[in-house]
Amino acid sequence: MSHNDRETLRGFSRDDGMRVPDGYFADFAARMQAALPEQPWEAEAAGDAAARIAPRSFWQRVRPYVYMAAMFAGVWCMMKMFDIMRPAPASFTPEGNSVLAEAISDDSFMSDYFITDVDESDLYDNLYNDGFIPASFSY
Amino acid sequence: MDESSENMSAEEQLVERLRDPSQCRAAFGDVIKLYSEPLYRQIRRMVQTHHDADDLLQNTFMKAWQSIDAFRGQAKLSTWLYKIAINESLTFLERERKRNNISIDDEESAVVHLIESDDMIDGDELKLNLRKAVASLPEKQRLVFNMRYYDEMKYEKMSEILGTSVGALKASYHLAVKKIEQFFSENE
Repeated sequence: MSHNDRETLRGFSRDDGMRVPDGYFADFAARMQAALPEQPWEAEAAGDAAARIAPRSFWQRVRPYVYMAAMFAGVWCMMKMFDIMRPAPASFTPEGNSVLAEAISDDSFMSDYFITDVDESDLYDNLYNDGFIPASFSY
Repeated sequence: MDESSENMSAEEQLVERLRDPSQCRAAFGDVIKLYSEPLYRQIRRMVQTHHDADDLLQNTFMKAWQSIDAFRGQAKLSTWLYKIAINESLTFLERERKRNNISIDDEESAVVHLIESDDMIDGDELKLNLRKAVASLPEKQRLVFNMRYYDEMKYEKMSEILGTSVGALKASYHLAVKKIEQFFSENE
């Protein structure tokens, strides 16, 4: 502060005259500390400290693997159960279907669609009978 | 060991404890106890009322706690806290100006009104007039005056906090004192 500045402010106290309620700062510190949220690293630090105090037992070490194996077994059982519970597909037999039964009982239907041992000479006879002339046929 | 080096080592110890996750919360409690009063005074001189200063002091410590990871001790702890407190105060004043639709030119009368209606103050008229004179200063000069006059802060520390050169701060303080002098000569 320069000499002139000191002269200007002579007679003023450095107390700004601002007052606070009684015990404000002590109360504020307690209030503020209580309001501080937990930091993520605090939990980790607490966990590390606990880990240092009590070494992990055999069960604590294998527990994640046991849980994982149990989960896979459960999923397998569930899928197996769904497979067993799935209804069998409806049977499709000639006896259960009137249209199919009628078609099978018709000889011409069977010879037209299902009888496969076709004799070649019979085939030609049929073609001649139907008016087919081989010479008129060209590829 | 003189007082300043004792304080320095105490702050260094505090910073060391802040870096240790298992001690950080307790150390931050000590930070609150140590700095709540100087920060409160700094904030209150800017915003004038106890209620607003209380809110902003809470925000200051909350922000410091939330960004404690980022504080690695490059700056001094007190400098870092002052920076947060001053940013909070300036942001608050800007928000209030917008909310109440007050221009920077009209701010002085609004601040004087706040000072006059403040019931958390002792009855010394001279102190009240000095507060009014300080309120008539532009924001940056007001900050510089408060830090230098009331807190008796060194220019070097003010420079770290405000990011302004020591020369500019000295000039700013000198101007502030001249304006206060003018205020009193006009109001006599």
